[in-house]
Amino acid sequence: MSTSQAIVAGIAGIAAEWMENPTSAMNDEARRRAEDHALAAMVDQYSSALYRVAYSVLRNQADAEDAVQEAFVRVLRHRDSLAEVRDHRVWLIRIVWNIVLDRKRRAKTRPETDDVAELARVLPSTGLSAEERAAAAQHHAHVLGCVDQLPAKEREVLMLSAFEELSSVEIASVLGISESSVRSRLFRARNLMASLLDHARNSGERSLR
Amino acid sequence: MNSNPHEPTASGSASSPAEVTLRLIASLPAPEGLAERVQTALDAAPRRGRVLAWPRTLRPESGWMRSAAAAAIVLVVAGGGWGVYTRVQQNGPAKVIVMPARMPATGGFTGAGAIRTPLTLPGPKAPIKVSPAANPAQPRTAKKPVANQKPASGGTSQPDETAAGAPR
Repeated sequence: MSTSQAIVAGIAGIAAEWMENPTSAMNDEARRRAEDHALAAMVDQYSSALYRVAYSVLRNQADAEDAVQEAFVRVLRHRDSLAEVRDHRVWLIRIVWNIVLDRKRRAKTRPETDDVAELARVLPSTGLSAEERAAAAQHHAHVLGCVDQLPAKEREVLMLSAFEELSSVEIASVLGISESSVRSRLFRARNLMASLLDHARNSGERSLR
Repeated sequence: MNSNPHEPTASGSASSPAEVTLRLIASLPAPEGLAERVQTALDAAPRRGRVLAWPRTLRPESGWMRSAAAAAIVLVVAGGGWGVYTRVQQNGPAKVIVMPARMPATGGFTGAGAIRTPLTLPGPKAPIKVSPAANPAQPRTAKKPVANQKPASGGTSQPDETAAGAPR
């Protein structure tokens, strides 16, 4: 064996040593595929619920869809910790909730006319005339305006309580508070809303007279 | 709103307009194709970069990095100590510096070897009173003539001349 052959053989041996372990690479590839599959299943299962949560805060279709996409991109970045999550649905709602609150905080306040137009477009209009649909949109926009006047803690609980699939325990988990706090805040929110709506109704009647 | 835990009758306004509106909004259907669009966005999102793997013999799990770091620390400390040791001189004989003799400047004034002693050096001295009897060397001064001594002649008062018997 000549010297050059020995050198080539040595280099080949070192290169083989430096190469990645094939078994480990196969395991990584399989794990990555499994994570992608789980993520795709989560998108199919929860994107609709996340969209509704986002829309209830942002009240804009495009913004809500962006928020859902951002939430899943965050999940993609932290997909290594997916196995540690106990309840994916609540975890995802918590992510999208934080995203939409952050966006809402940063966004400038939109005029109420935008809300009315958007509501008239998206609300179900079966069996309603155009005038009734406009009046309903006006009414809902007015109610949402009153909701926006609530303190943030009470408003958040009230909005989340409107989702049928969320129990008070899950609302507490999303907001990071105790269940008793959810109940007390919901109680206060309802009372405040009743007084706000009464006040608005009385002032409207006075203006009509 | 769900009926189980929220106690809708707590405030007596279970179906308030606010909750009706919020429930209506919460039940809005998601737009068509939302899941597909989200999936497309996820596919286009940047994936986490793959890191080159260590060779089998150099995997960090074997702890060689820790050993190498410890060896490097020991090497730096020992090298630094050796450097200090070689630069610092050992205890040798002390160097004696000979000061040059002071040469008086030519043509100038000199002290002529006089050494000035400060007056305060011996300390203060109390004045000593010496009695005349104790000191016979001191000459006695002339005493004043006694009052009852009468002059020998005349009325002149020149006792010195009389006493001395000076010629008239």
